[in-house]
Amino acid sequence: MDARSLSVVKIREILIVTLPSDPDDSTVAALQEKVLMSMERHQAKGVVLDLSAVETLDSFFARTVAETAQMIGIMGGRTIVVGMRPAVAITTTQIGLALGSIETALTVDRALDRVMQLSGPFQ
Amino acid sequence: MAMAQPRGTENEAELLQLLVDNMSDYAIIMLDPQGNVISWSAAAERLKGWKAEEIIGQSFSRFYPPEDVAAGKTENELRVAAKEGRLEDEGWRMRKDGSRFWANVVITRLRDGSGNIRGFGKVTRDLTERRAAEEKIRRQTQEILEMAAVPVVQVWEGIVLVPLIGTLDSQRTQQLMERVLNRVTETNSPVALLDITGVPSIDTQTAQHLIETTAAVRLLGAEVILTGIRPAIAQTLVHLGIDLSNITTRASLGAGLRRALEMLKLQVVPASAGN
Repeated sequence: MDARSLSVVKIREILIVTLPSDPDDSTVAALQEKVLMSMERHQAKGVVLDLSAVETLDSFFARTVAETAQMIGIMGGRTIVVGMRPAVAITTTQIGLALGSIETALTVDRALDRVMQLSGPFQ
Repeated sequence: MAMAQPRGTENEAELLQLLVDNMSDYAIIMLDPQGNVISWSAAAERLKGWKAEEIIGQSFSRFYPPEDVAAGKTENELRVAAKEGRLEDEGWRMRKDGSRFWANVVITRLRDGSGNIRGFGKVTRDLTERRAAEEKIRRQTQEILEMAAVPVVQVWEGIVLVPLIGTLDSQRTQQLMERVLNRVTETNSPVALLDITGVPSIDTQTAQHLIETTAAVRLLGAEVILTGIRPAIAQTLVHLGIDLSNITTRASLGAGLRRALEMLKLQVVPASAGN
């Protein structure tokens, strides 16, 4: 995976979206498109947005994440943001970037636990 | 007690030169009134690298970093020394090979009997080691202060505790935020207990800092429980109109810990109940 590309992996009914360390505007713009299309195609119940590689988060990025989560919600899915770095979290709060009331988890494992509990036992 | 016999001028000058050459920590040289080197010593050669024939006749600005020379520091130092009689300075100086050392420099005006300035004496001491040692002590002190200011303790698997003591100013809050967030990530703890029992008073700004920290912790995927809210603090918070309804709060640390265990779906039961 190169430093700017986005990956979407489907595991069971959950999409795991991994963002690159330094996503440019076009990657961020592609995020929404790609995730929503995958939601539709795979009938996913939840989306785990893995931000653990991300080193900088700007207002466009933050807004896109918040909006995408809202759209996933309308499509009946649940979004959990995972692995945000402390430095990124500090900047995000201090410059007041709005991530809305987005759901977060410390690790992908914890996020999966939560989504799977909600969607019931897997067959 | 026998006094030393006065010696010839020749001999005295020689002894003086030996003194200047053998001083190990001090480089003593002489400048003419324009700042050009007129006498050099073995000690100066050891410290700065130039041989006498290479440096005599050259301006003493050779010893200063280019940026200092460009800023007019050398001219200024001579002017002050000429006027005041003496100038002392601490700063970076250059060796012949271009390397730098931290020096203490004293420039002394040399006047003859009729008051004419004959030149300047310049004494340079290499303080690089002392500076490095001071720097180390300063850094260690800073580290200790930071640690003491914001300790973050893991009290249970998945729970970190931050006992806050004393007034929270902006600088401390910044450290607090960084340390709490880093520890939450390192220990993979979903709950952070922020205990403010030891915080004497709270104002709008402090409350704002606590709200910010809570928001940042949430972005990581963890929750903050604010504990140790004394009656006086609760009164202040309400009177100031600070809305903490988005933050889980408890009066005591014990109650906060119980809430944290609940959030982790853990239960503490008496040992007898297990039988």
